Amino acid sequence: MNLQIPPLVAVLIFPGGLTLIMAGLLYEWINRKLVAQYQNRVGPRWFQPLADVVKQLAKEEIAPEGADPFLFHLLPVVSLAAVMTAGLYVPMFGLLPISGFRGDLIAVLFLLSVVTMMLGLAGANTPNRFSLIGATRTLTQLFSYEAPFMLAMLGPAIMTGSWQIGEINQYIHLHPWMALLQPVGFVIAIIGLMGKLELPPFDAPEAETEIVSGALTEYSGRGLALFHIAKNVEMAISVTLVAAFYLDGITTPLAFLWKSAVLLVLLSGLQSLFARLRIDQTVGLWWRLGTLLALLQLLVIVLVW
Amino acid sequence: MKKINDEKFIVPIGPQHPALKEPGHFEFTVDGEIVTSATARLGYAHRGIEKAVENHNWAQNLYILERICGICSHTHATNYCLGVEKLAGVEAPARANAIRIILSEMERIHSHMLWWGVAAHEGGFDTLFMYTWRDRETVLNLLEELSGNRVHYSANVLGGVKFDITQEQAELMYTGLDYLEERTHRYLKIMTEDESFLRRTRGIGVMTRDQAKLLGAVGPTARASGVFRDVRIDSPYIGYENYPPQIITDTAGDLEARFTVRVRDLFESFRIIRAVLDNMPETELTVKVPRKIPAGNVITRVEAPRGECFYYIESNGSDMPERIKVRTPTLPNWGSVLATSAGHKLADMPMILVGIDPCFSCNDRAVVTKENGVENTWQWKDLRQYGITYYK
Repeated sequence: MNLQIPPLVAVLIFPGGLTLIMAGLLYEWINRKLVAQYQNRVGPRWFQPLADVVKQLAKEEIAPEGADPFLFHLLPVVSLAAVMTAGLYVPMFGLLPISGFRGDLIAVLFLLSVVTMMLGLAGANTPNRFSLIGATRTLTQLFSYEAPFMLAMLGPAIMTGSWQIGEINQYIHLHPWMALLQPVGFVIAIIGLMGKLELPPFDAPEAETEIVSGALTEYSGRGLALFHIAKNVEMAISVTLVAAFYLDGITTPLAFLWKSAVLLVLLSGLQSLFARLRIDQTVGLWWRLGTLLALLQLLVIVLVW
Repeated sequence: MKKINDEKFIVPIGPQHPALKEPGHFEFTVDGEIVTSATARLGYAHRGIEKAVENHNWAQNLYILERICGICSHTHATNYCLGVEKLAGVEAPARANAIRIILSEMERIHSHMLWWGVAAHEGGFDTLFMYTWRDRETVLNLLEELSGNRVHYSANVLGGVKFDITQEQAELMYTGLDYLEERTHRYLKIMTEDESFLRRTRGIGVMTRDQAKLLGAVGPTARASGVFRDVRIDSPYIGYENYPPQIITDTAGDLEARFTVRVRDLFESFRIIRAVLDNMPETELTVKVPRKIPAGNVITRVEAPRGECFYYIESNGSDMPERIKVRTPTLPNWGSVLATSAGHKLADMPMILVGIDPCFSCNDRAVVTKENGVENTWQWKDLRQYGITYYK
């Protein structure tokens, strides 16, 4: 679907900007509500994520002693900016991507990782011990899931013969489902998504019973809210990306709705099934199993295609 | 930038920390993710209960002592009643003892189910946490039906119990127990078969049989290491000699064993409750206990859900006790946490910590302060003096 939207509106209000933020908050609510339902709880009301963010934005932000205040305030802004930029190249809401260039797939994957890197930096910037351990774990986890996730994303790109998300999306829509052609890639993409978003059971970097809030322990007020929004937008974008690549492309708003919903139900279900993995178990899982399988699949694609 | 001067990297857990539901302080020295040593510091929830009971009469103390613990309140009350009855030379009627057994076992069920949830939460398995706590409502509802209270049942009085169990209530209990037993089978299956959960419990925090004996571990923690230690069998009280539980042990001594021992413990509890309900003796509920208890001292022991609970009661012949000393099961079990944590990952610490089912406020007996790195235990005299100068 193609709409003529003035660039400034597209970036600031729809489909980027405000709409993207609201979508992120909505995704968080759906995720939390579904997990709650799976766990036999009631779960939050629909406006709870928004209310949290509004409240946090209004609160005082305290930079801890020993942290570089400039970096402390800058990191959340950078991470939010990075994900919002990534949103421009992805077919959000079933519309054509606002922008695109050759190789924007790599750019988007990098921009989505920026959030995690900023998290790691934020943790390392504060002298809090929980933050330091959280930062170490965040970066360790980044190195473990990033490679297989990227390989899983490359599969469809190689079949298309293009590195532009918009083109891959169109190509996939006209061909059989990638989830059927590359089932291994689909599984790895979904699990990689959980690692990327630090959802249980990959939530060791922010395991509250061990290290309080991990890298974000010292964050409060605005900084916390911005990181929060960045995380949610990252979720919305990466879910859309996986749906576009593996669930027959996203070309209409309706397709966007039901495919994202399917993925969210799947993600929430997986979240409530397992006990938290230790960080060494996470790394072991990805490098011993995930990366190898992804490489194997890539090999098959390269040979067969 | 303020530098951390210590060469060692110490991760403090507590007194306020999401892993701890009660205040305690633990310092784990870590090398990367591996814990190299652990120390514990207790005493944040010292409430002066042992001192308070010396200023109240025997009947009032029942109320105070029951509030030592929110989970095993019946244990403390039973222990105290047993001691006082022994000193006074009376014995509770058979029906009262039967009701005491039923409540003790129901308390064990609710305590163990609570613990599964907490331990699963520490391991990041929130689904199990929510499910066990949902099913725990069944036993809490039964307790409310019997006593009117969900947690502090206050069933005991000196010389007996306050309430009877009617036929309708017994029917409700049978139904509730059937449901709980079915669910317990399900949880046993999860705890022994769920792959992701086993990765967090199997081989973690292993305590050998010799270690357990050396450290003086009690209750399920000791039984998970293969130590046959259960007061209900070693020195039966309130009629446990008629309904002896089968002692449940495991040889592994790891977290998985602590889980399964507690789960299998419950099947014994279900069996005992049913057996007692089937053979309720028809007697009075209370006997008269004198207001002044004859001078003397007595030691009583009761198997709390967490292990042996010890009471020393001394009477000087007046209507108030001279001294009451309580040792709750958490205290002897701390050693096992500190001894087994070295060499494990930091991520395993919360689970090892709650593996003994700790109850902090129960075991806090002294206030320890740390000023400029020097630890200092406050004596009663110092505390009193501090109070006087503080409020002057």
